Amino acid sequence: MKKQRYIAFVLLLILSLLMAACSSGSSANEPADSSDPGSSNETSAETPSEPQAAALTERLAASDLSKLPDRAKQRDDTIIVSLVNPSGAFTPYFTQVGYDGNVNSVLYTPLVKVDPNGLPVPGLAERWEISEDGLTYTYYLREGLKYSDGSPMTAEDVAFTWTLLHDPSYDGINTVVESRIVGGQDYKDGKADAIEGIQVIDERTISVTLEETNATALTVLGGQILSKAYYGKDYTFGNLDYIKDLHANPITNGPYKLERFIPGQEVRFVANEHYVFGKPKTEYFIYKTSEGDTWQFVETGEVDYGSFTATEDNLERLTGLGFLDLIPSTASNYGYNQLNLERDHLQDKRVRQALTYGLDRQLIYVEARQGAGQLANIPSSPILWSYTEEDINPYPYDPEKAKELLDEAGWVVGADGIREKDGQKLRINYLGSKSESTDIFIAVASENYAEIGVDFVPEQFPDFNTLSAKVRNGDYDMASFSTTIISDPSQGVFRFTKGQTPGYDNPVIDDLYAKSLATSDIEERKAIYHEMFKILNDELPVMFTSYSKQIVAINGRIGGFELNPLSGIGFSLADWELK
Amino acid sequence: MRTYLLRRCLYMLLILLGASLLIFFLFSLTPGDYVDNNLSLSEERKAELREIYGLNKPVFERYVNWMGNLLQGDLGYSLAQQRPVAQLIQDYIWNSFLLAVVATFFTWFIAVIIGVITAYKQYSLFDTLVMIGIFAAMSIPSFFIGLFLIKVFAVDLKILPPGGMITTGSRAEGWDYIVEVMNHMVLPVAVMVLLGVGSLARYLRSNVLEVIKQDYVRTARAKGLKERTVLYRHALKNAMLPAITLVGFELPGLFSGSIIIEKIFNWPGIGQLYLQSFTVRDYPLLMGFTMLLAVLTVIGTLLSDILYHASDPRVKL
Repeated sequence: MKKQRYIAFVLLLILSLLMAACSSGSSANEPADSSDPGSSNETSAETPSEPQAAALTERLAASDLSKLPDRAKQRDDTIIVSLVNPSGAFTPYFTQVGYDGNVNSVLYTPLVKVDPNGLPVPGLAERWEISEDGLTYTYYLREGLKYSDGSPMTAEDVAFTWTLLHDPSYDGINTVVESRIVGGQDYKDGKADAIEGIQVIDERTISVTLEETNATALTVLGGQILSKAYYGKDYTFGNLDYIKDLHANPITNGPYKLERFIPGQEVRFVANEHYVFGKPKTEYFIYKTSEGDTWQFVETGEVDYGSFTATEDNLERLTGLGFLDLIPSTASNYGYNQLNLERDHLQDKRVRQALTYGLDRQLIYVEARQGAGQLANIPSSPILWSYTEEDINPYPYDPEKAKELLDEAGWVVGADGIREKDGQKLRINYLGSKSESTDIFIAVASENYAEIGVDFVPEQFPDFNTLSAKVRNGDYDMASFSTTIISDPSQGVFRFTKGQTPGYDNPVIDDLYAKSLATSDIEERKAIYHEMFKILNDELPVMFTSYSKQIVAINGRIGGFELNPLSGIGFSLADWELK
Repeated sequence: MRTYLLRRCLYMLLILLGASLLIFFLFSLTPGDYVDNNLSLSEERKAELREIYGLNKPVFERYVNWMGNLLQGDLGYSLAQQRPVAQLIQDYIWNSFLLAVVATFFTWFIAVIIGVITAYKQYSLFDTLVMIGIFAAMSIPSFFIGLFLIKVFAVDLKILPPGGMITTGSRAEGWDYIVEVMNHMVLPVAVMVLLGVGSLARYLRSNVLEVIKQDYVRTARAKGLKERTVLYRHALKNAMLPAITLVGFELPGLFSGSIIIEKIFNWPGIGQLYLQSFTVRDYPLLMGFTMLLAVLTVIGTLLSDILYHASDPRVKL
């Protein structure tokens, strides 16, 4: 008996050592290759013990292509990229899951593309004209446009696509309708058979007139175009159900066409020989579904491309693999802490500023995330043309300044160390998602806010809808969110216009917002946005927090990749080439 | 027997009706709906969409509509996935089933062997070692074992695939396809067996221990039967009786998918889809799948009752 116990003990010991040894080796990481509106940005973060190592600032080429795994070497006509989980609705404008949008950006090329800085560049339209009054847009299509079945694409298809989206039973993204085409509402209400503002001039020319100027209209209307012959043949006003049957067999006009969709596993594409810019250089392309960890697939060469949070650990591990080109990338969205402006204490600008000064954002969003973040002080990503740091208050961590501001606002420290005003305590009820980054936020914020005399009461929710329902009901003081991908700066400031953020109403912002859309001149718009950013940075209707940073890892033998966080890989995919 | 079955079936229908009501109202009571999920929509557009989806109707009316469609065999159309719910379930559920059925088979097979041997050789070295191993395997979280196995067998040794059900881009067909899928199943099945075998083996062990001390076992030995025959024909058969009830309860588990295992091994199962549809409040899919599980659970309990009767005539229905 004694001997047996002894053996058992030794076995246990070995087992526990084994566990300790490998627990550091396998950390999970989410790919950020999507524009899914519901997904929050989760970042794996650990408390930093070392000083900041050199972060990735520019493209780092693969150091040793001989390390390329056999699995990748054997694949000479196929490129594989991982994608979380497309659902199979491969009709643009009719997708509900963001990942289907990724698939559609491979299947379709829009009339007007968006370059890495957010500026419009020709896609299937070779050029366009905007009338003097900024209300009429004329698109000139390229010569020889064809759909994947060989049928020609003409201005009629463009008119059809725009019209279809005005159908009253349409339930998808509504930006085309919100551009307010003349006669669009009449069509939607069933008062007109066609939309008055859309004019097909000839086979390759189409013009559209808007009710009011809108600088985003050029790219919104210049989107992906459906084939009228295919998607329009069963169309009757008020019923779009037939489109659901066409999701699985799309007729497209992008670099690749759909070969096969295997639910939960892969979307297979084959090069489109009818593509207007010539057949892509690589015959096959695959989006591989990967819900969980992508590390193992990148390491074994099963996928050629992955996106990782830009932590030092990840950088080190990716560099160690040797066969990957690494490209730093900043997401085109921003994180913010929404403040309940309908509550008295937060209506005071000084309190909002104090809460920002009094929080060590550098520690929370940059250092604790191992450099995978950058502080945000305005509602625009640094990669957009609208970004500026000029005259922008960076709100460095400064508890003294915060205390000063709170004193000024009339909040005096009470007997228990918590500030009071008119018998009311300065309390912040915070709502956040259940994630590691929120844990860090709460740990730091509790300490920081205690120091400046604010009672910080955090609450975490594992479920996003529950959290947003609570926020909608106004049952909070502060809540963490991040925006969806922003490709035009107007999308970043829209939430501050009249009626969008309860309790915030600034006519100057409304006025500037209207002006920023009234012109298409980029320099003019830049000046307007800078003015808006200055105001928002000072008034802080929300507390701006951070921009998240990623590392894009792509197999070193692939040439022709161009990073474009705004349009995704569809932007350069046609040029990807296996060397 | 016949009246029993008839009565049971009637109860089953009532139970399912009650379950459907409960599930429907629970889901509609959770805060936020499908439309709320998209932060970038304006309030007017949200109202328009609720009208299109029928989410603005009273809950009871929605329930009646849903039930009416269900009775006509229509499970509805998934809001997020943009495909009919029945088709979605078809696409994913068999992958989950394949994994679960193979894992369950091995779990039982191994558990029976371990249970019998450890009971027969109670307190032996083998017994102690196996029990330690079993407890260790049960107490390690599944994601850890999963990732660890992937690291060793897929990334370092490169003898097994790192995940998925087929090699990406594979055009294998027929026998090659089967081999490929089996290859991909090795690791997830291994983890599921490791996690499941412990409790079942313990259960069987204690049953065998009890039976082995019975008089009829001694009689069998006294008759001069071979030890193997005594053990497997006389002892095991009786020890398995209580375990048979468990078989029925396993039924819904075969179809429900395993969220963690599927996520780690990138298996295209339904567990993932279900979780996803909950986060976005995709009611038709949620309801359709939950009801399917409810039906399976009810059938499973009936099945285990019948099995119990069939295997042990002493049990009256």
